[in-house]
Amino acid sequence: MKTFEEKWTAWLDGELSGKELVEFEASLPDKAAAEAEKHGAHKLGALLKEQLGAHALSNEDFFSHQLRERIVRENGPSREPSLEASTWWTVRRLFLTGVASLALFVICAVVVIRDKNPGEQSQYLTQILNARVDPAVSPNATISMFETKEDKVTVLWVEGLQSLPADYAAK
Amino acid sequence: MQTEATLAQVDVSELDLVKQCQAGNTEAFDQLVTRYRTRVFAMIYNMVHNEQDAWDLAQDSFVKAWKSIGRFRGRSSFYTWIYRIVMNVTIDWLRKKQVKGAGAEFNDAIQLREIEPASRTVPKADPLPHERMERSEIRARIDNAIAQISPEHRAVILMKEIEEMQYHEIAEALGCSIGTVMSRLFYARKKLQNLLRDVYENI
Repeated sequence: MKTFEEKWTAWLDGELSGKELVEFEASLPDKAAAEAEKHGAHKLGALLKEQLGAHALSNEDFFSHQLRERIVRENGPSREPSLEASTWWTVRRLFLTGVASLALFVICAVVVIRDKNPGEQSQYLTQILNARVDPAVSPNATISMFETKEDKVTVLWVEGLQSLPADYAAK
Repeated sequence: MQTEATLAQVDVSELDLVKQCQAGNTEAFDQLVTRYRTRVFAMIYNMVHNEQDAWDLAQDSFVKAWKSIGRFRGRSSFYTWIYRIVMNVTIDWLRKKQVKGAGAEFNDAIQLREIEPASRTVPKADPLPHERMERSEIRARIDNAIAQISPEHRAVILMKEIEEMQYHEIAEALGCSIGTVMSRLFYARKKLQNLLRDVYENI
């Protein structure tokens, strides 16, 4: 079932015929006004056709040339894959460079941290700390130790030592 | 005037060209472009009223046609098929432009009005300055009126009145029903008649 708009358009364009045309014209409340509208629509069509007639395409050959170039550029089988490949390689290279940089950073960090924290104390210091002064030989002996870890220096301040035990010497 | 035989020849060769295009022959596509570039450009120009935009949109439409020509099954004419692409590209572009609200829509019409005072430099065979002014004013009124209707209504009225296409061709080109085409024509004509009544009644 056609709507009023469809019937009106068909009537304007002369597409209604026979029984459909008779019925539609009979349904119009003011046929004179409808005819005037139809006449106006035809005038409008003529005006549009006259004023908006085909607008010439200047440089037709250049248009086709540009189009050919664009089609080759966008769809050329030889160029597109290489473009894709170069893009892929760039991404891959970026990824590998990132991984390598991260590994280098980790190695450097480990070296620096280890360097900053000198691990075990030296063998000499352990030996000195474990040694005991014989109270019978040196009853008033005092031994003080000053340690500066940043400078890696340990100073032993020995006082009142009567004799140095034979096993005191660092080996 | 073309006879049925020549029409048939045109149809056959057009289908041949399409088949060659589907096989990847760009020369065949070039021939199809040569056949339709003027009509396609004119149609787009009437939709957007700017030479550069019409050129770019026509290029985009043909590139899209080339990329999707493998899907053309020949159920409609190539002309209708390419018009569908043209309309999709142009209506999408107009919608995006409306959303962005970038500047005046019909740039060339504005340029035309700006250039008009220099009309004394035109050859004597051309219309007199006051006639040109009158024509440019009429053109500006029409452009302004067309700018006030939606891209879909604009497409329908231009295809019907300028291209003289049949309802079913317009429906195929726009991917809608014939009833929708007729309904859009009804409203587009009503709107334009209201806006341009004084223009066409006084010519």
